Amino acid sequence: MAMMDVQSGDSFESFTGLDANDWLNASVRTGTTLMAAEYDGGVVIAADSRTTMGSYVANRVTNKLYKITNNIYSCRSGSAADTQAISDIVSYHLGFHSIEMGEMPLVETAANIFREIIYNYRESLMAGIIVAGWDNRKGGQVYMVPLGGMIMRQKVAIGGSGSTYIYGYIDQEYKEGMTKEECINFCKRGIELAITRDGSSGGVARIGIINKDSLNEKMERRTFTGDLHPRFYEG
Amino acid sequence: MSSIGTGYDLSASQFSPDGRVFQVEYAQKAVENSGTVVGLRGTDGVVLAVEKLITSKLYEPGTNTRIFNVDTHIGMAVSGLISDARQLVENAKTEASNYRSQYGNNIPLKYLNDRVSMYMHAYTLYSAIRPYGCSVLVSSWDEVDGPSLYMMDPSGVSYGYYGCAVGKAKQAAKTEIEKLKLHDMKIEDLVKEAAKIIYLVHDELKDKQFELELSWIGKNTNGLHQRVPLKVFQDAEKYAKAAMEEDSDSNSEDM
Amino acid sequence: MASVMLPVEPTPGFSFENCRRNEFLKAKGYKAPVATKTGTTIVGCVFADGVILGADTRATAGSIVADKECAKIHYMAKNMYCCGAGTAADTEATTALISSQLELHRLNTGRVVPVVTAATMLKQMLFRYQGHIGAALILGGVDSNGSHLYTIAPQGSTSKNPFTSMGSGSLAAMSILEKCWKPNMTEEEAKKVIRDAIAAGIFNDLGSGSNVDLCVIRKGSVEYVKPYEKANVKGTRTGNYKFKRGTTEVLSKKVVPIIIEEEIVKPISSDSQMDTS
Repeated sequence: MAMMDVQSGDSFESFTGLDANDWLNASVRTGTTLMAAEYDGGVVIAADSRTTMGSYVANRVTNKLYKITNNIYSCRSGSAADTQAISDIVSYHLGFHSIEMGEMPLVETAANIFREIIYNYRESLMAGIIVAGWDNRKGGQVYMVPLGGMIMRQKVAIGGSGSTYIYGYIDQEYKEGMTKEECINFCKRGIELAITRDGSSGGVARIGIINKDSLNEKMERRTFTGDLHPRFYEG
Repeated sequence: MSSIGTGYDLSASQFSPDGRVFQVEYAQKAVENSGTVVGLRGTDGVVLAVEKLITSKLYEPGTNTRIFNVDTHIGMAVSGLISDARQLVENAKTEASNYRSQYGNNIPLKYLNDRVSMYMHAYTLYSAIRPYGCSVLVSSWDEVDGPSLYMMDPSGVSYGYYGCAVGKAKQAAKTEIEKLKLHDMKIEDLVKEAAKIIYLVHDELKDKQFELELSWIGKNTNGLHQRVPLKVFQDAEKYAKAAMEEDSDSNSEDM
Repeated sequence: MASVMLPVEPTPGFSFENCRRNEFLKAKGYKAPVATKTGTTIVGCVFADGVILGADTRATAGSIVADKECAKIHYMAKNMYCCGAGTAADTEATTALISSQLELHRLNTGRVVPVVTAATMLKQMLFRYQGHIGAALILGGVDSNGSHLYTIAPQGSTSKNPFTSMGSGSLAAMSILEKCWKPNMTEEEAKKVIRDAIAAGIFNDLGSGSNVDLCVIRKGSVEYVKPYEKANVKGTRTGNYKFKRGTTEVLSKKVVPIIIEEEIVKPISSDSQMDTS
C-alpha cells in the first residue's frame, strides 16, 4: 500500500498546506484489477474493490461490477466518473433498445455501444472496460473495450493497473471449458494475486457469475474478504 | 375503391368523410398494376420470386431487377413503381448499415421491418408528398430465429408471413400458396413451387413477356441472401413449365 | 450595438473564452486567482433509524478564515440533506439548483423523491461540467426504500456507503469512522461517532475549524442542530490587566477651551433643489 507522498518542498508554499494534499484535487480513479472469463455455460467476472484519489483510498468497498442489464455487466477501470457515466448511458440505451426489439439485448450489442462511446470521446475519456454477459445467441461472452475504443472478443480478459501482474498467471491457468467452480476459483485467485502486487488494487475480491439463470433473477455474487485471501510468498 | 375522391383525394393529409385516405388507396392501386411477387417461407429458409414484366423487346435482359440485397443476410423483393422501390431499398440499406456500425452485428429483420414501414407510413401523413407506390417483401434467416418473411404496403402496414403475394395476380397466387404445406417444406422445393406459381399466374394475353427472378436465403446459403444458382434456376423453370403443361392438359380434358 | 441605453446582455452559463489566455498567462508564471475553498470536514453515516450528516463550520480563502460559522449542510428536500466541500459557491449553487428540481419532481410525481434520484441528478450535472464545478458532496436521506448515503465527487462519480467523509479533513474524520462505526447503531451512538469525526477534522486539519453541525434524518422527521457543539469555545481570562484609576500620577492639569471664530448658515431655496425630472 502506498503511503501518502511527501516529496519536494515547493508543495508546502501555502500556509494551509492544502497544496500538499494531492488527493484533494486528484480525480477519482479505479486503479483496478479486473478479470472476466468464459466457462462452460456462462461467464465469471471479478474485480478488486479499491477506489483511489491520488494516494488516498476513497472507497475500499467499491463495486466495480456494474449492472447494464440483467444479463450484461461492465467491469470498470480508469476514471470512476467517466466509467459510471458511460455505463449509465449504455444501460439506458440498451433498456430502450431491448424494448424496441422485444427481446433481451445481446452482449455483442452492449460491447459495441461501449466501443462507440469510448471511441468517439477517446480524447476526453479515461475508460477501460470489460463487457461480459450471457445471451441466447452466443452464450457467455467477454469483450474488451480498452482506452482508444477498440473492441475484441476474448475467452478470458484482464484489465486495470493490476492486470500487468497476472498475465503469466492467466496464460498458464486458463483452460477452455472449465466448470463454474473452477472458473470462480481461477478468477478469485487472479484478483488476489494482483491485489498483493499492485498498490492501487486492494480490498476485497468481488465475483459475479452470469449464465442463463441470470436473466430472471439477480446475478449470483460472491465476495472474498481479505482474511479469506490465501497467503502467497512474502519473504 | 373505384369511387371518385370528390376532392378528398388531392392530398395524403386529409381523410374523406367516410374515413379513408384516397392517396394511400391510389398508391395501393399502383402496386396492383405491377408484376406479381411471391414470398415463401419454409422450415429452413425463405424464397422470393418475381414476375418482372418486359414491356418492350428492345430492353436488355437482366436489367431493372426487382430483387435486392439490403444486407448480406436480408433480401428485398419489390412490386409497384420501381423508382419508388429503389428509394426504399436505399433506405433499408442505410438502416442495416447504421445498425451494423452502431451495434456490431446483423440487424434483426423484425427491427428493419419496423423501421422501413415507419418510414413508409411517414409518407402518408403530409400534404406536400405522396405515399410510396410500392409494396416490398423482406426475407431473412439466422440460426436462432430461423426463417422470417415480412411484407409492407404503401400505407405503412406490415405483417409477418408464411407465404405472401402481391401485384397483379396476387389473388391467384395466394390461392396457389394456400395449397402448399409450407410448414414442412424445404427451401429446394420452395424454389420450384415459387417459380411454378409465377408461371401459373402470368397472364400471357395481357402481358406478353416476363422475366422470372428467384432468390433464396436459408441454412443452405449460410444465412446469406443470394439469387439462386443457374442450375437451380433452370431446374425450377423446367419444373414450372412442366407443371404448366400438365395443368393445361388436365384443363383441356375437363373441357 | 452596445450602448448605455442597450447594454449587451451576457449569454447565460459558463464562458470559456479566456481559457487560452489564462493558460498562456499561467505558462508565463502568472498565478491564477483561487476561489474560496471550504477546506472542510464533512461526514455522514447510516444508523439504525436513518442517516446522520455532520460538518465543521469554517470557510477559508487561502490562509484566511473567511467565515467562522458557515453552514455546510444544505437542504435538498424534506427527507434529504447534502453536505458540501470544495468551492463554497459551487456547492451552494449546485445543491440549491438540484433542490429546486427535486421539489418540482416531487410535485410532478406526487410522492417523496427517492435519494437515488437526487444522487443521479447531482452526478449527471457534475459530470456534464467535467469537474469545473468544484463540489464534493455527501448526500444523505431516507425514502421508502430505507436510509441512503451517497458520496459524490466533483467529477461526477458516486459511491454508496454506510459511512463516508470528504473534504480536507476527511482523513482525520475517516480514522474515527473506521474505528468507531458499527452497523445498526442507536441515534446517540451515531451522533457521538459523527461528532468525534468532525472534531478530529477540526483539531487536526488546518482547513477545518470552529463548530460541529449535525443533521439527523429519520423516517418522517429531521433534526438540524447548528451548532451541535462549539469545539473551540473562547476561554475566559483569569487575570485582569486593567489599571486602576490613579495608577499613573497626575502632575498638572490644563483645560483649553475651543474658540468659535465664525458661524455661517446657508439657506437652500426651493428652486435649487435636486433636479428629479
